[in-house]
Amino acid sequence: MRIVIGEGSCGIAAGASKIRSAIENLLCKGENLSIGTTGCIGMCFLEPIVDIYEGKKLLKRLVKVGEKDAKAIVDAVRTGDFSGVDYITISAEDEQFLEKQTRIALRHCGIIDPTSIEDYCAFGGYGAFEKTIKTMTPEEVIEEIKISGLAGRGGAGFPTWFKWNAAKNSRTEGKKYLICNADEGDPGAFMDRAVIESDPHGLIEGMLIGAYAIGAAEMTVYVRAEYPLAIKHLEEAIKQAKNHNLLGENILGTDFSCEMSIKAGAGAFVCGEETALIESLEGRRGMPRLKPPFPAQSGYMGEPSNINNVETFANVPWIIEKGGAAFAAMGTENSKGTKVFALTGKIKKGGLVEIPMGKTLREVIFEIGGGIREGKKIKAVQLGGPSGGCIPAELLDTVIDYNALAQTGAIMGSGGMVVMDESTCMVGMAKFFLDFTANESCGKCVHCRIGTKRMQEILTRIVKGEGRKGDVELLEELCEAVKEGSLCGLGQTAPNPVLTTIRYFRNEYDAHINEKRCPAKECSALLTYSVDAKKCVGCTLCARKCPAKAISGEIKKPHFINQAICIKCGQCEKSCRFGAISVR
Amino acid sequence: MGEIKITVNGKEMIGKSGDTILNIAAENGIEIPNLCYNKNLKIYGACGLCLVEIEGAAKLFRACATAAENGMVIKTDTERVRRARKVALELIMSDHFGDCKAPCHLNCPAHTDIQGYLKQIALGNDKEAVRIIKEKIPIPASIGRICPHPCESHCRRRLVEEPLSIAYLKAFAADNDLASEDPYKPAKAKPTGKKISIIGGGPAGLSAAYYLCLGGHSVTVYDAMPEMGGMLRYGIPEYRLPKAVLRKEISAIEELGVVMKNGIKIGKDIGFDEIRADFDAVLIAAGAWSSSKIGCKGEELNGVIGGIDFLRKVNLGEIPDIGKSVAVIGGGNTAMDACRTAIRCGAEKVYVIYRRTRAEAPAEDIEIEEAIEEGVEFRFLTNPAEIIGENGKVKALKLQVMELGEPDASGRRKPVPVEGKFEILEADTVISAIGQKYDGTGFDSVALTDRGTIFADENSCMTNLEGVFAAGDATNGGASIAIKAIAEANLAAKAMEAYLDGLPVDFKKPYYSEKKMTEKDFADKEKIPRAKMPVKSPEARKRNFDSVIDGFTDEQARAEAKRCLECGCHDYPDCRLIRYANERPIEPQRFAGEIHESFVERKLVSIERDQGKCILCNLCVRTCSEEAKKGILGLVGRGFKTVIKPEFDDSNTTEFCKTCRRCADICPTGALEIIE
Repeated sequence: MRIVIGEGSCGIAAGASKIRSAIENLLCKGENLSIGTTGCIGMCFLEPIVDIYEGKKLLKRLVKVGEKDAKAIVDAVRTGDFSGVDYITISAEDEQFLEKQTRIALRHCGIIDPTSIEDYCAFGGYGAFEKTIKTMTPEEVIEEIKISGLAGRGGAGFPTWFKWNAAKNSRTEGKKYLICNADEGDPGAFMDRAVIESDPHGLIEGMLIGAYAIGAAEMTVYVRAEYPLAIKHLEEAIKQAKNHNLLGENILGTDFSCEMSIKAGAGAFVCGEETALIESLEGRRGMPRLKPPFPAQSGYMGEPSNINNVETFANVPWIIEKGGAAFAAMGTENSKGTKVFALTGKIKKGGLVEIPMGKTLREVIFEIGGGIREGKKIKAVQLGGPSGGCIPAELLDTVIDYNALAQTGAIMGSGGMVVMDESTCMVGMAKFFLDFTANESCGKCVHCRIGTKRMQEILTRIVKGEGRKGDVELLEELCEAVKEGSLCGLGQTAPNPVLTTIRYFRNEYDAHINEKRCPAKECSALLTYSVDAKKCVGCTLCARKCPAKAISGEIKKPHFINQAICIKCGQCEKSCRFGAISVR
Repeated sequence: MGEIKITVNGKEMIGKSGDTILNIAAENGIEIPNLCYNKNLKIYGACGLCLVEIEGAAKLFRACATAAENGMVIKTDTERVRRARKVALELIMSDHFGDCKAPCHLNCPAHTDIQGYLKQIALGNDKEAVRIIKEKIPIPASIGRICPHPCESHCRRRLVEEPLSIAYLKAFAADNDLASEDPYKPAKAKPTGKKISIIGGGPAGLSAAYYLCLGGHSVTVYDAMPEMGGMLRYGIPEYRLPKAVLRKEISAIEELGVVMKNGIKIGKDIGFDEIRADFDAVLIAAGAWSSSKIGCKGEELNGVIGGIDFLRKVNLGEIPDIGKSVAVIGGGNTAMDACRTAIRCGAEKVYVIYRRTRAEAPAEDIEIEEAIEEGVEFRFLTNPAEIIGENGKVKALKLQVMELGEPDASGRRKPVPVEGKFEILEADTVISAIGQKYDGTGFDSVALTDRGTIFADENSCMTNLEGVFAAGDATNGGASIAIKAIAEANLAAKAMEAYLDGLPVDFKKPYYSEKKMTEKDFADKEKIPRAKMPVKSPEARKRNFDSVIDGFTDEQARAEAKRCLECGCHDYPDCRLIRYANERPIEPQRFAGEIHESFVERKLVSIERDQGKCILCNLCVRTCSEEAKKGILGLVGRGFKTVIKPEFDDSNTTEFCKTCRRCADICPTGALEIIE
């Protein structure tokens, strides 16, 4: 039996390392009890997670494990009697979270040991690559990818085979580059990190297949420096792959040679845009280039280059192994295969979710995510991070499909899925995302640099209750101008959260501007807290809790709030046991 | 390289295959606006001005970065393109912290190039200064002495310590020029054969005559008074404007060929219709010569006289019998002229009756100050309730005591009577200087405004009569300051020329970028006090009409002119940004908000960088790296805070930069200035 601890960044953040030491401290000298490691299974809401395996068979999945549970776990493994760990065993309901998913890109995540090439190979790793270089021509590889219908998972959804084919045909001799975009910048998105941390060989294998297809002898992963564990695992994996002759000269005895390197990016959001990424790789300031020329014609160092996202590559070995048709069998008419989403927000079960295209948002949110916390009502879901848009609750039956999502004004994006309930102010939400993009603009295009700033200023005044008549129209005008006048995806999509919230929640904008009221009661500048004299018993608790000393009154007599001093923190409302304080 | 054929705005053109839309259009005479493009540098594509529509494509394309393809049909001036360009310009302008023109220029009604002539005065080039001044003001020695100078009220140097003495510097340069052996003489255009008549030889009439004469037209000025000069001659007292100075300037205009006919009153000596028939165009610049009534009992008494009537008499050489005690009603400059003239006429006691306080008085403070020095007694917060007479002659004034109430439409606190509180003031003469009006006689067919002034279209300056124009105190808003009359006349002169050429008139107020600044911005600036104009002592000046000022010394004037902060942008004439911003109306104030980090520095050799004016077109960065091969400049920061900065400290930058100045030459705005 083997204890496997989930030690992705999220597991570590939740305390996985402490559990490891606690378990290790309990072991007797020479005791032959194996403790393994694995990456992220994607169930953030249950971290830290400890699995007990017998061979490849999962016997027990323990969740929300603490240091104090170490003894019970060790005892259970020693005795084979698991009754002592029932209290931390995953519930049948929570198991649904994984069971309802279809995992391709994440197929090894949280299962294999990411630091061990042997473990990866034990799960059939590098089989697809070997098949590729030994039995397939580059054309056949591209054909298989074409059959699969795989599209870029980074956000744009461009057909992968097309890019590969362009890069392959751009030149028959000379250098070409294959680049992996792991500059995952959307707030709340972490599927790329999970894949690299938990299945680095899966990425290498996918990239190798791509490099073979386009004829590249050099591969680079551009990864955020903020992902140290991912970089560490990938570095180790590259070393291991070299030792196994999976990288380097004459790979597996063939004519195919390929080197691989890692470039840590300094954390500029815009470097997720492929031409800005190339600029950054070349050592310059990360700013988008004009297209054409496209990277397939002239990319890194002026040579033909192909750039794909981590998740895109992670799908490739599976497609080669099972065939493009198997991949294409999943999904809808124009969106094939699966897609990974990072499910966050006011959801009960947040984490990484991989589902076939064609499922509805409602299925993801309610069947996998378990619905909304605290029994509240869902209001909207933001897809695609700051470049995406929000989809209102009425449209939750929209299927996950590039076109269907685009019709709502949102985008598939890289897979951020933020769920919002009735307590989320949609104007504030739009401002949140716009603050992000405005600050991450590279400063090149006038529309993006100044336009998003002006939008940010207008949104700021609206949430502060200083909105003016005509502000919504001004925002709409700016949105259109910024979309049209910006060179790269950052600027072209930055207005999306604003446009979609105006489209679906215009009433909230109007309430803020005309009535100086925030319907979600989230914009503190627009809130008024008051004491209901009939309900107040004069317990003085609120007055004592108030950090601004805005509440006064005699003991056992109704209190009142001085609005001029009130800082609208809501402490009084939270502390009142009689429900005497209301906010409007 | 092959040739391709494309269509731009309906015009077919041939271009080199692979060339951009922008280049092919430019080679064929169609300019597509752009701020970040230069044919020798790598394409950047940031400004968003060159967006064009391509038939069959959904989105707009950057003309600078899009290779033209054979058969492309391109439109550079559609509604959609214009809208996109407008927003781009508005966004750039909303973050462009610079002054196209100095505040003095913008606030001078005639928009004189003050910064330009001050610089010449500072350099000692008075003649060149006068040349610049005379582009807008043909009588600078006179105007420099009497102008209430709105330019000085807006001079930004006031945020350092005090404004420049602009008006007196103007008079200084003009005096020097007049006294020189070879005074400035403007060039005249070839004769046009057109005849223009100007009715009224005051500042407006003289100014229009000057510019129309320079334009090659044959100009005749008619004036009812014995001499030309209008209010400058008959309203302003000698001690403020010596008539010899005015005469010299008028003679200079006459010498250019303007025919001047004095002593002719229209409607009496010659019919208006006759003049209309004899000339191709007529300008009415008749002025406002009639004093406004006080509107109280006793106004008809002997000894009650209008302010300008009084001043006119004195200026005509009469010394009116005003007695020992004189009360002047009003708080404006005419009241000051009247009270100080009364002192000079020998009155023992001179009072100024003004219903508000000194702070609200429209007269210039120096005038009030000098009047007090000369013995005038001010009775603020009083208003005539009745002029008390004896035997049909003024004996005293009954004054209603006032107090200040709420601010009125003009922003000044409104005076309200203190009920039942009166004062009696003994007086032999009452001079009413509370305003003046156009008297309207002689031009019966000319339509008037509700205020009784001549109506002239704001744009065309034309009255209701074809070919008849109007400007100055007689027109629209009524009596104001001389420089405003000159400004209107200059506009009218242009409108008349356009009319004579059969061209449409379209005076659009240009759009300018303007900075808002406060004292804080100048906290570190060295303080240099304003030059003090030497003034005769009250005793020396109060009993005669000699000029009260002696004029600046040469040294004083040069030093004073050097105080100019040179607020206006050096690059205005060549600035592409402002040219585009003026092609069509823009409203950058829609997007008013934060402005990026702004500072002025001199890290580059011989170049001053004004970060506030930088629009991040990146041309300087690219030329420095691609052409100069130095790479000193680069972008720093992200988002709205992005700026261009030199990458090294002073000594290193100096070493690298040398003095190639490519960056300053290529900057499309005035962000980079070469400093010798």
